[in-house]
Amino acid sequence: MSRFRGLVLVAILVFTSVVVLAISEVSVLGLTRGGDSPLGLTLGLDLEGGTHLVYSVVPEDGREPTREDMEGVRNIIDKRINEFGVSEASVQLLGGGVDSVADKVLVQIPGQTGAAITLNFGADTVSPETMEEFFHNDLGRSDAEVTQNENGSLVVQLDEIKGEVLDAVGNVVSPNESDAWREAIIAQYPVALQVGYILPQIAPPVIGDDTAVDAVPTEDVVTLPTLEEVKGAFASIGRSDADVAQVDGAEGLFSILMYGLDISSTDEDGNLIQAEDKRILDALRELGDIQFTSSQGTLTQWTLGGGVQEAKSLIQNTAQLDFRYRECGDVLAPSDDIPWPPDGLSLDEWAIERCSNPAYFSETATEINAADLDDAFPSVSQGAIPRPIVTLVFNEDGGDAFFKATDRVARQNDRLAIYLDGVELVAPSAQAGITGGRAIIEGGDFTSESVRTIAIQLRSGALPVELELVQERNVDAVLGKDSLQKSLIAGGIGLILLLIFMIAYYKIPGLVAAIALVAYTIMLLGIFKMIPVTLTLSGAAAVILSLGFAVDANVLIAERTKEELRSGRSLLAAITAGFDRAWPSIRDGNMSTIIVAIVLFWFGDRFSTSVMQGFALTLAIGVLLSMFTAFFASRLLLRLLASTSLGNKPNLFVPVRDKSDSATGGNS
Amino acid sequence: MDFVAKRRIFLTISIVLATLSVVILGTSGLNLGIDFTSGSTVTYQFTDKDPGAETITDALVASGHPEAIVQAIGDNQYFIRTDDLGVSGLDDVNVEVLKVDQGARVLDTSTVGASVAEDTVSNAITAVVIAAIFVMLYIMYAFRSVPNSYKYAFAAVVALAHDVLIVLGAFAVMGIAINAEVNAIFIVGILTVIGYSVNDTIVIFDRIRENVTLAPGREFRTTVNISINESVTRSLGTSITTTTVILAMLLFGGASLRDFLIVLLAGVMIGTYSSIFVAAQVLVLWERRSFLPWRKTAATNS
Repeated sequence: MSRFRGLVLVAILVFTSVVVLAISEVSVLGLTRGGDSPLGLTLGLDLEGGTHLVYSVVPEDGREPTREDMEGVRNIIDKRINEFGVSEASVQLLGGGVDSVADKVLVQIPGQTGAAITLNFGADTVSPETMEEFFHNDLGRSDAEVTQNENGSLVVQLDEIKGEVLDAVGNVVSPNESDAWREAIIAQYPVALQVGYILPQIAPPVIGDDTAVDAVPTEDVVTLPTLEEVKGAFASIGRSDADVAQVDGAEGLFSILMYGLDISSTDEDGNLIQAEDKRILDALRELGDIQFTSSQGTLTQWTLGGGVQEAKSLIQNTAQLDFRYRECGDVLAPSDDIPWPPDGLSLDEWAIERCSNPAYFSETATEINAADLDDAFPSVSQGAIPRPIVTLVFNEDGGDAFFKATDRVARQNDRLAIYLDGVELVAPSAQAGITGGRAIIEGGDFTSESVRTIAIQLRSGALPVELELVQERNVDAVLGKDSLQKSLIAGGIGLILLLIFMIAYYKIPGLVAAIALVAYTIMLLGIFKMIPVTLTLSGAAAVILSLGFAVDANVLIAERTKEELRSGRSLLAAITAGFDRAWPSIRDGNMSTIIVAIVLFWFGDRFSTSVMQGFALTLAIGVLLSMFTAFFASRLLLRLLASTSLGNKPNLFVPVRDKSDSATGGNS
Repeated sequence: MDFVAKRRIFLTISIVLATLSVVILGTSGLNLGIDFTSGSTVTYQFTDKDPGAETITDALVASGHPEAIVQAIGDNQYFIRTDDLGVSGLDDVNVEVLKVDQGARVLDTSTVGASVAEDTVSNAITAVVIAAIFVMLYIMYAFRSVPNSYKYAFAAVVALAHDVLIVLGAFAVMGIAINAEVNAIFIVGILTVIGYSVNDTIVIFDRIRENVTLAPGREFRTTVNISINESVTRSLGTSITTTTVILAMLLFGGASLRDFLIVLLAGVMIGTYSSIFVAAQVLVLWERRSFLPWRKTAATNS
């Protein structure tokens, strides 16, 4: 049997491929392959659905991008996308060819079937199981699956979320159905607030000054707010339903449980509405000095998943954070002869205008460098009701610079203006220099979603260059699925027809070819899964072509064997000679195809699509494998069958009626 | 069958087809897609009711896109091509299209900027030319055992150019007839045709190489004719089986691959034809130093 060792090799490979394909997820030496897709193959965007973005890199000063720029861009985008929570997104540099530097970035984000909502209650107050039950029972969505990600956020996977419906004139007929779920969830899960009051600060008595004792305010002024007063405060803003209780034995300490508190509602234009939380805090402040507040269970995040727009803004913004001194207009007149405040403003107006109207202030750079950021994370502001903010953590250099800047701002009664990509976020004043290297930024239009994006951008660093979106393709996951299914069915039908034709026409060699082709197909898919090769529509084209070559190899062998039989050789000798004669043309034909594939692969990265390279790689693998299959499977299987009792019927090895043999030799 | 004697007919057919292709490519040209011209495309899936192309065109005009081309592609799906929609252009289009059908769903959008589009044409041509040069070099090497192997390389590339030209011409006709568009996947189709064409030609040449070595003294045209006859069943066998697979995919596959498969189908048929009737005949002509197939020389009458 040693002559058939090649067959054993093929059999082992086919068996391995079947196993590899049967197990949906394969892990070997830490490499994981496969997933939910059919046979665990890696699918391209056109088959799976998703988004394909190509950015052109434009350095500000008009120079060519350097290799460092491009690597920086790639790493930063990679970080941003990963932190955004997109799984299996890929970032590739494109263009430039072999010697020159790439000047484009291709970002591919796989599509997701269905939709996802990511929500967060700030703390682990609601378990994923509870939320799943809520979706199943109360919201009637039995398709919901809830998991918890590493940030503690709950991720709700749904088959579909019905979007906003507009009528003929563009008015909203029915809102996005998730809006109602959000309200239901806010109404369902209570927010627990705590507020602690403190007596007004008493100035420490100065030694030797007896009058200080008398300065202690009289009893009736310094009482802490009572339970009734706090309840009244809630009633005054129309929330008498809030369950207010005094914490046992602690005067001035109250816990409040309330439902339906929405902190991040936005109006139609996406602006944050001055919500209830602000009014609650104002009402509580009127009762006395608040020492501390805390809250638990507020919905701090509500993100509809699959947002291509969000992903795009995440990638494209350079995220250049800029701190600038704002030297406000002078408080007092610079000289006596100028009427002050200028332009007939009142003193009250001037107090605001001097630091907010660009006509009156000037700005200079600070030493705070965004590169000195150690970390940035989304958080919520201190205070009764949290508001979305981004906390910045500087390293030592950054912390020193921040102290210097805030110190100067405090002393000169100026502002520290903070810009993100040239847009002013805030320009706070400072009471004193801030130590500790921590700062928070907030902006008028910050939402619980946008702070997350901004934090990711800041953490991943500013892009060294600007990006321009030059190509975009979005494929609906359903369309991709449909294309894939139809192509698979069509390919299957084609393959079966081909096998029937081969067996009917070429008989035993046809049967051998059929077996070889099935083995070929299985091994090809196995290889695609293990490398892994991303299967796209253009890859499918390469598969068809290489399948054609695999058929051709078998046809060539069968035809040559027939000729050798006609010339009077024994069956086994004819098979051997037939193969030897067929081999040069199989080899040369396939080699020239591999050359074409190599040139295309080499050129492929100049194109802004991965179409070329996908085609070239798939074709090269397919053609190499078809040569391998012809050499081992077809040749040896033919010999094996010829050595059985079938070998006594050479007619079975000759194609049905064949006219060309009468013409052989032509009219010489 | 004497294929070589009838070469005048076949070469004339090829020259006529190639000339027609050049004429049609030169006059009306290919219907270039956004990969080459820049712009945007959107594919919409409408609900059960087909709104009709005119209604959609009106909606696009209302959204500020009078240049939009609207095309029905079956299953209540419409393919729309506009100028570059930019960042928010799709939203404007959506508002108007949703007025037509509130259940309309965007299946596929694509936007290509002008800078990218320019590169695509030159890159595609360069890639094909370089691939052709390397294939020629390989053939010269593989056929080094026969005299004048560069002739085989040249003839194979003539057949290759012939195939690509005629397929491009056929696609230009499809562009006029059914608005078929040249896109990135079309280039892949052309590449596939190149692969098939070269492979098929090499199989015939291999037979010629073998027969030339076996009987070096025989007249070259006779050897070529014997070789063609010996490999014609294989050529038909392979092209019939490949065509079967392509036809099955064309009939049962989705609309997205249709144009591509038509290119492939045309390419396989032309590729098979040209190996026998162009590549092999160019070799004979060259051997006889008579490049004008209709000019009778004394040697032709054998």
